Amino acid sequence: MALSRRTLLVSGLAAAGAGLTSGCAGKPLDTLLTQAAQVPRTPATLTWWVSEIPSRKGPVVADLIIRAFERRHPQIRVRKSNALSATDSNRAAVTTQLAGASPTPDVYLGDTTWPAQFGSNSLALPLQTLLPKDFWDGYPAALRRVSEYRGAVYALPFFTDSAFLYYRKDLLAKHGRPVPRTWEELVRTARTVQRAGDAPYGFLWQGSVSESLTCNVAEFLADAEAPVLDGAGRVALGGAGAERAFAMMREFTETGVTPATVGTYVEADSQDAFTGGRGVFLRNWSYAWGNAADRSVSKVAGRVGVAPRPGFAGDGPRGVSCAGGWSNFVNPNSRHLGAAVAFARFCAGEEAQMILLKNAGVIPALDEVLSRPEARAVGDPTLTGVRQLHLVARPVQSPYYPEVSKALYTRANAVIGGRTTPAQAVRAARADIRTALEGRAL
Amino acid sequence: MSRRRRARTGWLFASPALLAITAVTVFPVLFSVLLSFADVRLEYGGFRILSLTGDHYAAVLSSPEWRQALAFTFGFTAVTVLLELVLGTAAALVLERLGAARGWVLAVLLLPWALINVVAAQLWGYLYNGTYGGLTWLFTQILGHQPDILGQPASAMGAMVVVDVWKTTPFVAIVVLAGLMLIPGDVYEAAEIDGAGTWTTFWKVTLPQLRPIMAIAVLFRILQAFGIFDLPFVLTQGGPGTATESLAILGYKTLFQNLAIGRGAAVATTTAVIVITCCLLFLRVFKAQADEGGRA
Repeated sequence: MALSRRTLLVSGLAAAGAGLTSGCAGKPLDTLLTQAAQVPRTPATLTWWVSEIPSRKGPVVADLIIRAFERRHPQIRVRKSNALSATDSNRAAVTTQLAGASPTPDVYLGDTTWPAQFGSNSLALPLQTLLPKDFWDGYPAALRRVSEYRGAVYALPFFTDSAFLYYRKDLLAKHGRPVPRTWEELVRTARTVQRAGDAPYGFLWQGSVSESLTCNVAEFLADAEAPVLDGAGRVALGGAGAERAFAMMREFTETGVTPATVGTYVEADSQDAFTGGRGVFLRNWSYAWGNAADRSVSKVAGRVGVAPRPGFAGDGPRGVSCAGGWSNFVNPNSRHLGAAVAFARFCAGEEAQMILLKNAGVIPALDEVLSRPEARAVGDPTLTGVRQLHLVARPVQSPYYPEVSKALYTRANAVIGGRTTPAQAVRAARADIRTALEGRAL
Repeated sequence: MSRRRRARTGWLFASPALLAITAVTVFPVLFSVLLSFADVRLEYGGFRILSLTGDHYAAVLSSPEWRQALAFTFGFTAVTVLLELVLGTAAALVLERLGAARGWVLAVLLLPWALINVVAAQLWGYLYNGTYGGLTWLFTQILGHQPDILGQPASAMGAMVVVDVWKTTPFVAIVVLAGLMLIPGDVYEAAEIDGAGTWTTFWKVTLPQLRPIMAIAVLFRILQAFGIFDLPFVLTQGGPGTATESLAILGYKTLFQNLAIGRGAAVATTTAVIVITCCLLFLRVFKAQADEGGRA
């Protein structure tokens, strides 16, 4: 019996060892890029990993794009693989497949925070040699910055998310208040409306321990002109600017302008509270306009206005918004690399971008389509207002971005909940980010 | 048929099952342990082991995140298992005394246990919701101000304990009830003849007889509670801060969000080693006490 147990153990170890060594076989990048440069003439079926694209008119936007692509490339079929909408869960699901060298999905729609991490881990194909030199001319510069890692392009633009300040037009008019230009003014206006009993909450945003909070923190830091990393990629967080940003978040909850429960809010929670008529102001992404203006889901439809986010007193509104959004990545293990690249490029191109403009509740990545008459005809103020925004990138150029993001959102969450002071939180976040950039954080 | 030949035939028949177990259990476990010692680099179409190293364990064991997750996981396990044992035993004692209604009560009691964990967590998430949650409303009426149930460390942990106890107490109750029904009636008759009261009978007769089955229930619960993932994942995502980040959540984030393969495997392996050690210690203490009880 002892011998049998030993045999079993040895067999298991041998199998595990074989698994380790068999996993070592990589493919040369040149071979992959040669395949990727050719659109196949023979039939091919692609799988597109895509989360739900907010729709303005009802039809499934992804299907419209797939049909348009198939008309252009009759030999290529595209099958949808429905992905989760939450960034972090979506990433966990897709990386499980990609790290296991699965050939599917061929193309996957991913967050604009992913390129550095995915590029450094060989989970996305570098595409810069397959693009014309003027490719990026039509897209926001901030989008290009977040799509690149060490000079290589790992994601092709699809749509962007930009942050706006949504406000209740009726309540501001009732109290004779203008749309706030500074955070300090927003606090005063919110307090006035709250004291009058017209809304229980003043300002709604996202403070849960997730990427949602990192976006808010990055925006407040940009409002205060406090960088997270310096030009060389080292930690730069600190000083009066960073403390001012953290102190503002605390002031919202301390004064009751923001409910204490904001520390558990993701986008949907803040949006539900606002469309339920419980808030005066809401910071949310551009897609929230669709729901806020939809009478079937919003109690405040027709009474909502949109403006760029305010700034700090003395600086005025800078219209800071995180460069958010979703881009297409190509799986380097795809068996149809040429078709996959063609599809990702199609999604970034004019025809697909016009489909997004007319049907989706998101902002197309291609700048040029936003100035067309169709953009004004849609009647979505986020489409026409996006050009006034000052897009800022999160520190996503580091392959350790998830750890950097965690450092920001855990410390900011403690400030919001009153468990630490802004100064302490900034110092702790700085130390955590340094540990993260050294690759030592969990 | 010789003994040796019979053994060979036995191995032959068992081999498909053994192969399947090796493929789905032994290989992944050993592979995970090996990865925890490996410096892995993902490449196009595969991966490469650059070297074998103990660095992942050094990084994990010295990390404040890991220590925080360990403390939460230990605390959560201790509190929930204790509460579930006490409440489950009490429920089993009541159930044993029920007559015809026992079947109905059992069915109702088992409902939380039958619910899928994520669904149960989501339902409680609605109750705790800061804007529309029923429990938030109730506490607001009682306290006079809106509580931040999932937004503060103590209340978030308390909220999580409540859900786990609500969901898992029926399991302990059913197991203990099975144990109660196995105690022979003449033991109670003898206690009665000896003049033992209700409490004395419970402490000196019922409880000692229940100990083996309670030990099994506790072992199951420790194993499950120590691997807690779904409740914090759905209710708090490990927050506020990292207050409810369990070892399983930390391992998930390290491996699947940070893509730190070796370090994530090290978190998983240390968690497994700790829980196995705890269970072995528990069994040893339990066996020592049982032996002592037997001698007495």
